[in-house]
Amino acid sequence: MKHVIIGNGIAGVTASEAIRMLNGTADITMIGDEIFPPYSRPMISHVLDGSQPHDKLPIRSEHFYDDLKITPLLGQRARGIDVDNRQVELADGTRVDFDRLLIAAGADPRPTQAEGLDLKNIFYLRTQDHVKQQTTALAGARRAVVLGGGLVGFKAAYGLLKRGLSVTMLITSGYPLSMQVDATAGRMILNELVCHGLKVEVGVSVRAFEGNGTVRVAVTDTGTRLPCEIVIIGKGVLPARDFIPKDKIDADLGVLVDDHLQTSVPGIYAAGDVAESVDIARDCRWVNALWPEAAGQGRVAGLNMAGRPVAYPGSLSRNVMRVFGLDVLTVGNADPIEDAGYRVVRSSGADRHFYRRLVLKEDRLVGAVMINGIEQGGVLRALIENRTPIRLPPETLIAPGFNFGQLLY
Amino acid sequence: MKQVVVHPERCVGCMQCMLACATAHSRSLMLFAAVQETPQPKARIHVGAGCFNEGFPNRCRHCDPAPCQMACLAGAIYRSDSTGTVMINPDRCINCASCAMACPYGVIRFHEDPLGPAGHAIAVKCDNCSARVAKGQIPACVEICKAGALTYEEMDTAMRRKNRAVARSMSTDADPPVMPAGVALLKSIKQSELQLSGS
Ligand SMILES: Cc1cc2nc3c(=O)[nH]c(=O)nc-3n(C[C@H](O)[C@H](O)[C@H](O)COP(=O)(O)OP(=O)(O)OC[C@H]3O[C@@H](n4cnc5c(N)ncnc54)[C@H](O)[C@@H]3O)c2cc1C
Ligand code: SF4
Ligand code: SF4
Repeated sequence: MKHVIIGNGIAGVTASEAIRMLNGTADITMIGDEIFPPYSRPMISHVLDGSQPHDKLPIRSEHFYDDLKITPLLGQRARGIDVDNRQVELADGTRVDFDRLLIAAGADPRPTQAEGLDLKNIFYLRTQDHVKQQTTALAGARRAVVLGGGLVGFKAAYGLLKRGLSVTMLITSGYPLSMQVDATAGRMILNELVCHGLKVEVGVSVRAFEGNGTVRVAVTDTGTRLPCEIVIIGKGVLPARDFIPKDKIDADLGVLVDDHLQTSVPGIYAAGDVAESVDIARDCRWVNALWPEAAGQGRVAGLNMAGRPVAYPGSLSRNVMRVFGLDVLTVGNADPIEDAGYRVVRSSGADRHFYRRLVLKEDRLVGAVMINGIEQGGVLRALIENRTPIRLPPETLIAPGFNFGQLLY
Repeated sequence: MKQVVVHPERCVGCMQCMLACATAHSRSLMLFAAVQETPQPKARIHVGAGCFNEGFPNRCRHCDPAPCQMACLAGAIYRSDSTGTVMINPDRCINCASCAMACPYGVIRFHEDPLGPAGHAIAVKCDNCSARVAKGQIPACVEICKAGALTYEEMDTAMRRKNRAVARSMSTDADPPVMPAGVALLKSIKQSELQLSGS
């Protein structure tokens, strides 16, 4: 049995480990663009903010491929999939046969349009290589511009602030992380960032970058000139599925998978940021491009590929962020259009440092936001994920002493 | 392999296990010295109040597979091959709290720890008292619990005992479940208090 995995991110890694666990001898080939040992992608933001050294990024040994008897084909992208002949085509023209294929190509930063994007010190934040270049560019940088207030834009701005730079963030909604949290939490996060020196421009985009080889100014569409020595673009990600024949393998935003993470073609699976599964809280197709989802999906896909049928229950949006003095935890459908059958329960009183919000649909919890005191967030996540009918009054779930023991009655 | 087995119905909420746990994870390993340490050693077992205000001892289940391990952003969570205990490597943890989101029981805490790097908060949870067990001792919470709410035994033995108790309670001349006298008293006081308060 020939297993081929496209992508050596966490989804590809956990898939290969699952296959090897069930089958000690099967052929496993991993095709990967990045040659660095398997590493923690989220942790690059900790390297940017200076709290972790670059050499702590690897999460598996440098002998990972040898230890698991994997044939690595690293340093180039897969260019296509020949579904009929069951082959993967590489950039250099090589063709790799497969019996079972996993598409775990992850996601790429959503590109942005502006003049002068080829100037130096304008970056995306996705790979260890990006962050290496950024930490080099930090020397001598005083002012930064960050495009986008989503997860990556926020992390970039936070990291640069912690490095002591003067940071201007350009966002489209009134507060950062608007896809992750509701307006109240969003404004608490914004306040916390602003208290630490962040400057925010709402509803503007960059028209052009100027500089003499290296970026010096970002010019917005309203004509404002923002001097800067470093720019990070964090306008979200797009599943890396350009190389996938869409006439053969069904894809929407991501590659569509069924409840065993198989694509529309038998024997071809997808997992991680590239896969579009079903969101448990929203009850519809969704790409949840997140580390724990990618790790879990990779494992389930690997088990299925190796012949043990394991169902995948669906994915969930979930995030934990530390924002200076605020710990923010958000899970599920945290900010649905209200009154469409949803009920929202909030903590009372305006406290700058504490907030709770639960979203319920009928007797199920579908979303939650917590600011500070986030230790019980996993209990709420499990209630959402398992679609557990909530018998306790929802107010109990947001009370300070809430713990797992209270669910047992 | 012996494990800590929790019998929540026997917990009187005295929180002795929390003190013993914090002491067992201090530098001095002695209660009176431990309270003076900086950073303060903290318990890794958490006695919460249940719906009827009864005690509920909550600790890591060392799940297999472990959701926290799968969610850890830094690869800091691993399973010890020899004991099956789920462990957090304090030197790899980046305090991102991704594991807090993953743990269905809410047993992970985040703080600076005497056994972790100085000056950095990290994720902290039950380690099955690995250090004590390696010295031939039993986990500190079990040793201190006088109500029988925490026992250290083979899972098989615990299951067999539970089965027998259930079978006994279903026979006509059923004995009341075995419980130390003091425990039964405390429990009934709590229950009657609740009835009086009308909940
Ligand atoms: C700065 C940052 C912070 C983040 N923080 C968090 C967080 O706090 N919590 C969280 O849950 N998630 C976070 N994420 C998201 C998380 O990193 C991703 O969800 C996760 O890495 C996805 O894993 P994956 O294996 O699906 O894809 P990837 O990690 O993207 O791996 C895919 C690999 O495949 C390679 N590849 C792509 N196309 C091809 C091809 N055609 N041929 C060969 N190889 C290819 C890519 O180069 C890449 O190495 C963060 C991401 C970033 C960038
Ligand atoms: S911390 Fe929670 S999820 Fe992890 S093993 Fe313990 S009980 Fe399970
Ligand atoms: S807080 Fe530490 S142990 Fe928990 S997920 Fe993050 S790195 Fe892993």
